[in-house]
Formats: sequence, C-alpha cells, structure tokens
Amino acid sequence: MSNVFMLAISAILINNFVLSRFLGLCPYIGVSKKLDSALGMGMAVIFVMTMASTITWIIQNYLLTPFNIEYLQTIAFILTIASLVQFVEMVIQKMVPTLYKALGVFLPLITTNCAVLGVSIININESLSFIESILHGFFAGIGFTLVLVIMAGLRERLEWADLPESMRGLPIAFILAGCMALAFLGFSGFNI
Amino acid sequence: MSLIKEMTKGFVKENPVFVMALGLCPTLAVSTSIENAIGMGFASTFVLLCSNILIALLKDFIPAKVRIPCFIVVIASFVTIVDMLMNAYVPELHKNLGIFIPLIVVNCMILGRAEAFASKNPVLKSVFDGLGMGIGFTLALVLVAFFRELLGAGQLLGIQIMPESYEPVLLAILAPGAFLTLGLLMGALNLFKKKDTTE
Amino acid sequence: MSYYLKLGFILLLIAAVASGVLAFVNGFTKPIIEENRRQAEIEARQEVLPSAVDFQKADSDFVFYTGYDAEGEVVGYTFLAVETGYSGPIQTMVGVGPDLKIIKIKIVEQSETPGLGANCIRSEFTEQFSDLDGEKLYLDKDSGDIVTLTGATITSRAIVDSLREAIRLLKNNVEQLNSEEVS
Repeated sequence: MSNVFMLAISAILINNFVLSRFLGLCPYIGVSKKLDSALGMGMAVIFVMTMASTITWIIQNYLLTPFNIEYLQTIAFILTIASLVQFVEMVIQKMVPTLYKALGVFLPLITTNCAVLGVSIININESLSFIESILHGFFAGIGFTLVLVIMAGLRERLEWADLPESMRGLPIAFILAGCMALAFLGFSGFNI
Repeated sequence: MSLIKEMTKGFVKENPVFVMALGLCPTLAVSTSIENAIGMGFASTFVLLCSNILIALLKDFIPAKVRIPCFIVVIASFVTIVDMLMNAYVPELHKNLGIFIPLIVVNCMILGRAEAFASKNPVLKSVFDGLGMGIGFTLALVLVAFFRELLGAGQLLGIQIMPESYEPVLLAILAPGAFLTLGLLMGALNLFKKKDTTE
Repeated sequence: MSYYLKLGFILLLIAAVASGVLAFVNGFTKPIIEENRRQAEIEARQEVLPSAVDFQKADSDFVFYTGYDAEGEVVGYTFLAVETGYSGPIQTMVGVGPDLKIIKIKIVEQSETPGLGANCIRSEFTEQFSDLDGEKLYLDKDSGDIVTLTGATITSRAIVDSLREAIRLLKNNVEQLNSEEVS
C-alpha cells in the first residue's frame, strides 16, 4: 500500500508531469484560461492517460517485445492514443455536449498531449508492472489536472490585473508557470 | 507568396514557439544547453521536412476522413527513423535528448503544418514552409538555451564564458528557470513587435 | 460499407509500408547500436581496472567480469552497480582488486539534476571511492567517509548504497566460485 502512496506522491507532486517533466505544456497553456473547461479537460486527460497506460503496456509486452519489433513502439503507441481520443471525443459529444463545445479543438489535441505518450513510454522505460503502469497513468493525469486547475484559477484572476501590454497572454502565463514550478520544486527530495 | 517568403515567415512572424505556442514541451525540456537545443532543432526540422514532403506528395491519395491517422503514421515513421539513426550515429546526443526524441511525433508543430499546409499545398512550397518552421523552431530553442546555459552553467556550447568567480544561477537550468526564461523572452519579443508596427 | 473498407485499406497500406521501411532501417542501425553499447562497456571496464588486459565474464547470477593481466593472474573484478537515484537509475561501473578494495569507479548512466546530482560524474566525487573497503562504504551523513554532493543527498546515497550492496554480492559470488574451483 505504501508503494501506491509513493507512486502517487511521486507522479502528482515530486515529478509532476507539467512542472518537472515538461510534459503536457500545450494544453496547460492553451486550456487554462477558464476553470470549468480546465477541469473538463483534466478529467478527459486522466481517463485517456489511464487507458493509454493500460493498452500500451499490453501492446509492448504482448506484441512488440515478443516479436522483436520494439522499434514500432512510437507508431503503435501514438495510433493507440489517437484511437482512444477519437473514442473519448465521441462519448463526450454524446453524453456532455456542453463540455464538447467548451473544449472545442482542444479535445482532439489530447492526442498530441506529450503527457499521454510520455507516460506510456516512461512506464516501459522504468519497467513498471501492469498495475503500476495503470496507477502511474492515473496519478500522472491527476497531477496534470491539479496543475491545470490551479493555473486556470490564477489566470482567471489575472484577467483583472493591470499588466503591460507586451506581457499579456502568453508571457505572463509562462512567468506564472515558472512560479508554480518553483513552488513544486519544494517537493523534490521528499524521501518517504 | 514567394517561396522565400514561405520560408522566412517561420522565423519571426509565425515563429512556432514564440507566436503560435507550438512545440513547447521540447523547448523547455531540452534548452538546458545550446548543443542539445541544436540537436533537437535539427531532428525536429528533419522530421518536419520529410513529413511535409511525403504528405504533400500523398495528399491526393489519402482520403480526408482518415487523414489524421495517416499523417500520424507518416510522422511517427520519420520520428522512429530519426530515433534509430541518432542512437546509432550520435549516441551521446541521443542520450541527452532522451524521451523527447520519440515525443517529436506529438510536437504540435509537425502535425499542425501537415494539416494546415502540406495537405493543401504543392511539394515545393511545403518544403520551404517546413524549412522555415523548422529553422524558426531551432532558433527559438537556441535562444532559450543561450540564456539558460549562460546563466545556469556559465557556459556556451560547453565553453566556459563567465569568469571563474561566477556563481551559476542553478534555477536557470531547473524547471522554473525554463518557464521564466521563455515568458520573459516572449514578453520581450512582443515589445519588439509592438515597436516595429508603431514606427 | 465498401467506402469504409477502402479507408481502412489505405490506412493499412500506409502502415504496412511504414513498418517495412522501419524494419529496413532497424536492420542496419540495430547492430551499430549494439556495437556502440558493447564498446562503451568495454571501455568503462578498462577504465576502472586499468591493469587488466583481458576480461572474462564470470559464471554466476551476479554479473561480473574477472580481469587478468598478461601473465593470466587475477588483477581484480569489474561489475555494474545500479540504483534508482533522484530522477532515474544510476549505473556505476566499479573496478575492485583481488582483495575487493575499490580501485576506481565510473558513473556510466545517470539522469540526475544538472548542476546538482549530475555532478556525480565529476572526478572530485568519484575519486573519493578509490582505495576504500566496499563493505564499509557510507556517506558522511551516515557516519562514513564519502563526502555528499552539495544539494544531492539522494543521488550520493543511491550510489554509495548500490556500491556497498554490489560488493557484498560480489564477495559472496567470488567466495562461492573459489570454493567450487578448489573442490
């Protein structure tokens, strides 16, 4: 049980996917303007990352490695993720059309979210077991959502700030991210 | 637009990193040294160029409904080729860039150009577009790496620039420094562009 | 229906061609990559046990190589110590003498924080290990002799602990092999 706890703390705080590993930045900057779309995007990403971790693990260990075609990893993984996202898109469109509208073009863009492909590859590189990979994908998604939601909350308030024009939009978003990364740096070195 | 203009638009006006905010993950992750930045820039440009060419060639053959998966297969193939070639011929750089080499496949810049340009334009134009975007991307990476390596390690391209007594600003090499550097550079660039248009 | 079949077929065709091309490139790059890796390992082994001219892989569960000089005398052993540091696994190539005292170490694989843990590859850190008894290897923070890297306790401790554990395993295996030889 403590192993799961360590995995969670590591994926969410110590090695946060956005602020430490630099994965998932495009949606982090792109969708963090409003709190509810950030939350919706986060949920979708958690689901995709967990499912992707599961399926890609199976593909790697039952298809790629046994047949010695590990070099097809990139293609196999990214096609899996693309299909998964397509599937999630259809489900959201049917079940929560308002969310579908709010996320707009960013929903298919989950395919290009480096965090999803990233966690799949990291699971393999660190030789995680099947259960560990699924959990890692899940917690990594939570870490991503956490950071995304915090950022959205901050940026909503930033709308009212009096900023020099050249800093509005992207520049201040990155400075903000830098401050958040600084805060999260404090988690490093946790040895539970 | 003339071919040369197709290329140069990617340098500043439509710079993938500073203007379109594409390819952010590698920009922040590999800009710890100029050497890594150049390596990543070249690898990404190579993939972008090859995929632009192939997709422009195949655009009439690929049906619109399955175009995204087809683009992905093409891009992923070139990324895998680059990965294998780098592992064989420049293993040090390959190790330094690590997971971000396969992640070139999800560099929104490449899929973005395939969708927005190469699938709708002739091959030659796509070549220049790809080159321009790739060079713009590399320039952006090198610019961020310039500051991070100089301030964070006192070096440029591994050569000690700052005097011995210089206490490196470790933060520049770490994650927060990456974000802050990029944010400040973007702000500076915006200031530049504003001055340009008002004059 | 046939429309979807056509779509699927084209996708499959592209994927098949892609796989073919990749198999081809893999064919000629894989041996080079393997060779690079082998070469790097040989060089590392030579570096940590400079007096050896020949290395033989030992027949045991714990992987190590026995180094021989020109006269066929055992000059020491080399092995890889692996432990997860701060950001990932740290691999250290270690060369010990016949008395199992450390001759030299070399960090061959690490992805620690640049400027902090990554400084473990510097000679100022690795030099400390030479001439020390592996079984009594501890960080100064744990009442030992090894000076911890500034701001990189986890990295330092991982390396030290991995070495101590590996040398213990080596000792067991060498003793076992020696007793087998005698009997």
